[in-house]
Amino acid sequence: MFEITYDIVVLALGITAVLAALGVILCASPIYCALYLISNMICFALLFLLYHAEFIAAVQIIVYAGAVMILFLFIIALLGGKKEIIEPSVERSAAFSFVFLLFGELLLAAGVGPTRPIEGQLTPDVISAMGSAKAVGIELFSRHLISFELASTLLLVATVGIICLAKFSYSPARRRSQ
Amino acid sequence: MTLGSEFVLIISATIFCIGAVGFLIRKNPLIMLMSVELMLNSVNFLLIGYSSFLKSLDGQIFALVIMTVAAAEVVVGLAIILTIFRTRHDLNVDHINVLKG
Repeated sequence: MFEITYDIVVLALGITAVLAALGVILCASPIYCALYLISNMICFALLFLLYHAEFIAAVQIIVYAGAVMILFLFIIALLGGKKEIIEPSVERSAAFSFVFLLFGELLLAAGVGPTRPIEGQLTPDVISAMGSAKAVGIELFSRHLISFELASTLLLVATVGIICLAKFSYSPARRRSQ
Repeated sequence: MTLGSEFVLIISATIFCIGAVGFLIRKNPLIMLMSVELMLNSVNFLLIGYSSFLKSLDGQIFALVIMTVAAAEVVVGLAIILTIFRTRHDLNVDHINVLKG
């Protein structure tokens, strides 16, 4: 009797995530790439859920699969998703060999595995007893307060940068009229 | 649970390398940004998997910070692509070789 266990679900989600990632880089049309990226992010959100990170899974769905991908789809619709012809070239094969080397090194590192496990006290049972969002919030606002503040400063800088790019961007039509 | 931390490492490494290949071989800057998103997401998965294995929440906090960085990066990147497209009407990164429009 074939029985659906935790491992099978995790394995299926991981393989689906890999296939969706392949779809992102192999599709010619940007709109299909964006749709494959959304499916990849949803697979990752489900994997986060299975690895006891409920709050991060919700943030992944809302921020990544929602906001960021809607932004991508807006820009694709605005610029017109033209198909791209992929032809082989020397740079392309050099890129492939470089990344295959990287992949081999990463697999070697994965074969070694964790060398020294450091066990924290926050077991999944403890976290599920207090709620994942609460646990993450307590951790974020106590031990990681500086990184939180730095992240908010980064968002502010990005906002100011966007306003500058939108306001002071170069316009060729204005120059031609001078 | 038989799937250990090696599964997380292998899936994460595979998707990171797929993202790296996509960044290097594609010419459309939008798809290059999407490949960067793939790489960031694979690292997030690694952090969250290990935070579950090591019974610590630090990995989840790092994943949150990475998500913030990714959102800021996407917004600035898309604005730059839009500005380039407004001046050049061309979306091939090989043709964008001068900083001044």
